[in-house]
Amino acid sequence: MVKFVESELTQIKREVDQMWTLVFNQMEQSHEAVLNLDRTIAQQIMVRERRVDAYELKIDSDVEDFIALFSPVAVDLRFVLAMLKINGDLERIGDYADGIARFVRDTDMNEMDPELIENLQIKTMFSVVLNMLGTLQEALREEDAAKATAVLSQDEQLDMINKSSASILADYARKNPDAIPFCLGFGGVFRKLERTGDHLTNIAEEIVFYIDAKVLKHNNAEE
Amino acid sequence: MEKIEAKEVDFYYGDFHALKHISMDIPQNKVVAFIGPSGCGKSTFLRLFNRMNDLVPGSRLEGEILIDGKNIYAPEVQVDELRKEVGMVFQRPNPFPKSIFENVAYGLRVNGIKDKAFIEHRVEEALKGAALWNEVKEKLNASAYALSGGQQQRLCIARAMAVSPSVLLMDEPASALDPISTAKIEELISDMRGKVTIVIVTHNMQQASRVSDKTAFFYMGEMIEYDDTKVIFTNPHKEATQNYITGRFG
Repeated sequence: MVKFVESELTQIKREVDQMWTLVFNQMEQSHEAVLNLDRTIAQQIMVRERRVDAYELKIDSDVEDFIALFSPVAVDLRFVLAMLKINGDLERIGDYADGIARFVRDTDMNEMDPELIENLQIKTMFSVVLNMLGTLQEALREEDAAKATAVLSQDEQLDMINKSSASILADYARKNPDAIPFCLGFGGVFRKLERTGDHLTNIAEEIVFYIDAKVLKHNNAEE
Repeated sequence: MEKIEAKEVDFYYGDFHALKHISMDIPQNKVVAFIGPSGCGKSTFLRLFNRMNDLVPGSRLEGEILIDGKNIYAPEVQVDELRKEVGMVFQRPNPFPKSIFENVAYGLRVNGIKDKAFIEHRVEEALKGAALWNEVKEKLNASAYALSGGQQQRLCIARAMAVSPSVLLMDEPASALDPISTAKIEELISDMRGKVTIVIVTHNMQQASRVSDKTAFFYMGEMIEYDDTKVIFTNPHKEATQNYITGRFG
């Protein structure tokens, strides 16, 4: 019994890891696409989004089967519950990468203003998101709760950059009225990256829940 | 409030040290499950609560077991009186070769009750309590052996409950039954919760998690972990417990 239960769990973990790599690549590519307003890359991201959705359905189904067939308890139950939730979070992050690609496809702008890019700190924002995504993937692979917890503080930086982006884009739109539609769409990219940070925070909490059985969620009640 | 208190209990079958230094409190009117691999001592421990092990030659108990604060191994304790308070249901249903009615009435008659109306009332009450009344009310004089295995087990529960014990010990009460009969026994346990203290030994982990308030895990004569059932099955504190309940034992 032990061996085949282990092999089912290993299979679910492998699928989540593969989905994770795909979502990481989608987000990395969306960075590339948005900086260069590269519509070819954007198109590739939109095509690959279907694979992210397919992974989500497969993992959902595998976890459902595992719960129905093996009645997991304790660490096994926490593991499959965490995988189910992480699966949902990764799918949402995949949606955000797809949303960013759609912005690139639809905008009338052909190239980015380097000064605007610098002021908005969008490179930093992508770098933080990708760093969180990669570190959390390692944390799950290595079952390292401390590594997962370490990324939590980075979400604040995403919130701050997102907050400041609104006024920078408003100023830019004021000075460049032709760019108003672009600025509205570009603002959506920041909100997507900020929401990605929230999902990554959820993922960190799920990893800690699985490994240490601690619930970090909603612990900051004073906020 | 504690119904049963085991204090530093060691138990020996001859030279074999079957239970090692076990202390635990069983709260009143709760359901407590004992789980663990075969030979871990859980049934031996259960049988100490109504002194069933007294019958085993060469067995020896050290430590104390208190029910309602009184040491049940004190010299003045009458074992028959103790067993009125502490009923027991076994793995295989063991009805007497008598009618359904007489099986349930047996304990009352042995206790000297002669009032026919009272006995009839108690038998009906006990059979209703065991969710068997509707199935047998038309054939109370039929042989208990005519009942199915699941019905026989519920009859044994009715028989045990007829004398109104405050503790019911159940040693794998559903392991010989089909899933429907098992569900009925589990429903009975759930109905009795809050009215009687139940200690159940089971190999079925899902059964322990479904029916009990607290669970104790035993291994090689030791009680490894004892906690709320929710804790044991979601986040046990001992690795051995986790290995056992997730099937990684051995």
